[in-house]
Amino acid sequence: MAQKKNAVIVGGGTSKFGVRAATIFDMLQEAANALSKDIPGLKPKDVDGLIFASTTAGRNSNSLNTAPIVAHRLGIYPTSICVRVDTLCSGSNTAIILATGLIESGISDCILVCGTEKLNMPQRWESVYMNLITNDHDWDSAMGLAVPPPFFTMIAQHHMKKYGTTKEQMGAVSVTNYAYGFNNPNAQFGGKSLNLDEYLVARTVCEPFGLNDCCPVTDGASAVIVASEERAKAMTDRPLVYIRGTGQTSTHGMSAHWPADTLADWPHLKHAGEIAYKAAGLTPKDIDVAQTHDCFTISEIIEVEELGFCKKGEGGEFCASGGIKVDGQTPVNTDGGLLAIGHPYGATGARQAVEICKQLQGRALNQVKDAKFGLTHNLSGVCAQHTVVIYGTEPR
Amino acid sequence: MAELKTSQIVGTPYIDGKYAAILDMWPLEAPECNRIYPFYDNLKQGRWTTTKCKKCGNIDYPPGVACTKCWSDDLEWVDLPKTARIAAVTEMAGPPTGFESPLVMAWLGFDKSHPLKHLLVRLINCKLADVKNGDEVKLVTFEVPSHPIDVKKETKICDRVYYAFEPVKK
Ligand SMILES: [Zn+2]
Repeated sequence: MAQKKNAVIVGGGTSKFGVRAATIFDMLQEAANALSKDIPGLKPKDVDGLIFASTTAGRNSNSLNTAPIVAHRLGIYPTSICVRVDTLCSGSNTAIILATGLIESGISDCILVCGTEKLNMPQRWESVYMNLITNDHDWDSAMGLAVPPPFFTMIAQHHMKKYGTTKEQMGAVSVTNYAYGFNNPNAQFGGKSLNLDEYLVARTVCEPFGLNDCCPVTDGASAVIVASEERAKAMTDRPLVYIRGTGQTSTHGMSAHWPADTLADWPHLKHAGEIAYKAAGLTPKDIDVAQTHDCFTISEIIEVEELGFCKKGEGGEFCASGGIKVDGQTPVNTDGGLLAIGHPYGATGARQAVEICKQLQGRALNQVKDAKFGLTHNLSGVCAQHTVVIYGTEPR
Repeated sequence: MAELKTSQIVGTPYIDGKYAAILDMWPLEAPECNRIYPFYDNLKQGRWTTTKCKKCGNIDYPPGVACTKCWSDDLEWVDLPKTARIAAVTEMAGPPTGFESPLVMAWLGFDKSHPLKHLLVRLINCKLADVKNGDEVKLVTFEVPSHPIDVKKETKICDRVYYAFEPVKK
């Protein structure tokens, strides 16, 4: 068997995120345009594989078997792989794990990973109604669970009760991430500042969540190039960013099979992190910057705990005391995260990868000094699946 | 037999009065559509049931055709106790179309003797202010809209039920 190759992320780009007057194909072309500016030497013909992530394309955009259409619209003629991935919020992060395996094995040499969703529909009711089919339809959805706020408010209730997490600590996550997203030109809430007083008086969505505890409903697309080390060197003069380790766990379809006694504990995320750290040969202390899945403020608080950046139960204090700030112990969601940028499900993982790539190459807007190791994380479903990817400036 | 509800769909006049399963918020419960239809038939009798594996004793929920512990298909239907206690409760002001607003949802905890540990449910016949953690709730069933299904040259109407939970009156 041929020796295992090293997979690297070369660069990437995103469309503008927000309520968009655009189709998924329009936004994917915007992301490809941004990608071409990020990697000036790259041409569509250089790409031999496409892994495209979208969950709602089949419903909101009336497009099943979408990968060949995406390939056509982006001028790609895949020879190694052309496939769509459907893992909701972790779509393009899942695609990066697949791309890593294909590059390391030598099956592919240069893969375009992209993802998109069009979530804002001509009439607002459809955006919520469509979400009934993103859960276990006949069981959880028939109980009325469509969009996730009700389930995550229960998670917040349990975390507040068990660990003493406060509304102010959740607010610190929102204020920090809006500050990070302020100068991000592609963020849905770019240019929007938020202070704790404004956060505390915002309209209630679902107790204890106000408007700024929840990521918005967002349209958008993102794209990155995952290639072999040799191929990447020919494509760019920038420092290489290696994919060092990955992990993905999935514990339930229907929420009833939640893997812990309370919703405050996420052992399946801890497990995914441990698998990725082991594969990367690193520990949580080594991570210089992380992009975690802040679909809600409470999510980021639990994620910094389960990923090992602080002790279990101390996530609220960790976030509120500045542990997630750019000069803090482990800066998190340095481009604004889901809260400020928005969350077009399948586009989010690749968007996070773009930010980690820039951080590790020393060219991020909110640059973490001397960042060498970075981590991305997505949760998906009813917090059922956790996906972790760890990057470094050196191979394992 | 429940009356079949038809609808006018703006912008797509050619499907007026036709049923599209892709837009249905309820399960396809008829024997023509799935192999766990006894669950729904039992629910119509007020029974909450699921499948138990005769080979390894595992009780699955939702019910299935093969055991999720050993993949055996030697299963039997068993009744589930119908009461639980609220472990978290919330309400949603903007629920999906078809559900009442505000929609009250709860995370239930069951006795150790119950095959289920937890269940996410809709609470009906109460407001959020009427319930709190620790309160006992019980299963309640209700009719949901029927749908048509083509059987040879005929159209059969499939009646349906579903379930939620409600407070146990003190
Ligand atoms: Zn069995």
